[in-house]
Amino acid sequence: MILTILFYPSVSDSPEFDDLLHNMPEALAKLFIGEVSDITSPEGYLNSQLFVLLMPLLFLFFSISHGSGAIAGEEESGTLDLLMSYPLKRSRVLMEKFAAMVVIILAFGFVFWFSIAVSAVIIGMDIILWRIAEATLSGVFLGLVFGTLSLTLGCSGNNRGLSIGVTSALGVAAYFLNALAPVVNVLEPLQKLSLFYYYIEADPLSNGLDLAHVVVLLGLTGILLAVALLTFDRRDLVA
Amino acid sequence: MRLLLDFIRPTSGRAELFGLDARIHSVDIRQRVGYLPGELETYTNLTGREMLTYFASLRGRIDWNYAEVLAERLELDLSRSIKTLSKGNKQKIGLVQAFMHKPELLLLDEPTSGLDPLMQQEFYIMVREAKAEGRTVFLSSHVLTEVERIADRIGIIREGKLILEEAVTTIKDKALRQLEMHFASSVPAETFNGLPGVRNLRIENNIVYCSIEGSVDALIKAAAQFEVINITSHEPDLEEIFLAYYS
Repeated sequence: MILTILFYPSVSDSPEFDDLLHNMPEALAKLFIGEVSDITSPEGYLNSQLFVLLMPLLFLFFSISHGSGAIAGEEESGTLDLLMSYPLKRSRVLMEKFAAMVVIILAFGFVFWFSIAVSAVIIGMDIILWRIAEATLSGVFLGLVFGTLSLTLGCSGNNRGLSIGVTSALGVAAYFLNALAPVVNVLEPLQKLSLFYYYIEADPLSNGLDLAHVVVLLGLTGILLAVALLTFDRRDLVA
Repeated sequence: MRLLLDFIRPTSGRAELFGLDARIHSVDIRQRVGYLPGELETYTNLTGREMLTYFASLRGRIDWNYAEVLAERLELDLSRSIKTLSKGNKQKIGLVQAFMHKPELLLLDEPTSGLDPLMQQEFYIMVREAKAEGRTVFLSSHVLTEVERIADRIGIIREGKLILEEAVTTIKDKALRQLEMHFASSVPAETFNGLPGVRNLRIENNIVYCSIEGSVDALIKAAAQFEVINITSHEPDLEEIFLAYYS
């Protein structure tokens, strides 16, 4: 990641990279580097190299591994039995697990932002550090939705593998749906069903966070958490 | 046990502990209970001390010194990482966390599994202490000699139904015991036939063999008419009683 940024000066000095972009088939460009008009500007470069594909996938898998481990992981390894014999409400255990996940995704986001910011300063990149934070935060929110989805799936039965598998598959599908929708006619009306749309469409790196999109991501997280609370409180724990 | 702790919910009926509903007042109940799961799993990335302090913090205020004392009595090294511990040592962590807050009720599922004989003795002492302090120990075990040794009352569950629940001494009194009486001369069978409690009567030469259920009073009084040389009685163990219930 840091290396990616340290390579920026050589890219920005070479307009031919933009020609390369414009000569690429449109669909291919959109699929792998997103809606970017150039890759030599700081925003275009960072979006194409990090924020369109690499960073959301990192957040996705990081969040899913934590979300699925929170309840399903403990249940599968058998430690949940001991934990639940302590005087704690199930809803409290779940909320604290969720809070821990939020903190750890935020911490992951901070490390991500910090390393980009430091590298950008080192190479003297002309970019607002606050905008990098906003773009990273968008990734945090995306990770939060998928992390909570895996937590919720994990709450419905003790199958960590299923929770990871289903959530990861949905994540990858959401990525492709959002990437392909602008160029594939049949998919176009479905683009807004993809969570990646709410993550990147407003281009938070250039324009800052879009409130409506943030509300969608956080609202969905809230709904999933409520479903998790209901299912976890009602069911039998597996020995 | 898992139902009493509200891990699973009854398909019908309800359970109560301390007069509280196991479902509605689960948190209050769990505050007063120490539990050892049958298949204990531990946080292997922690040391024994880290895991126990974490669990102690979930209870609020507890006397940590007592946890250290228990660990010492069980010869458990709390500074070692749990993943390096043997099964027996992991079990000791489970025992310490169940006993450390001196709960009113201990729910122990197969508590001695993996413990060496010396540590089993220490565990029996811990159970006796809890009992002496007026606390209740509820344990499940398939080691019947152990149950016989530490339990006052036992219940036998067969195919999900409680088929027996009684004090150990009562069960033993009721159980059939083998009796063997040697007489100086031969004795007539009709003396013993039909006496209350006498079963499987068999007389060979001067020796009477029988099983007896309940009081031996009638049998002894009948035998007293003759010259008795020796009486041997075999105390039934729980295993025989248990097998009798299952056959």
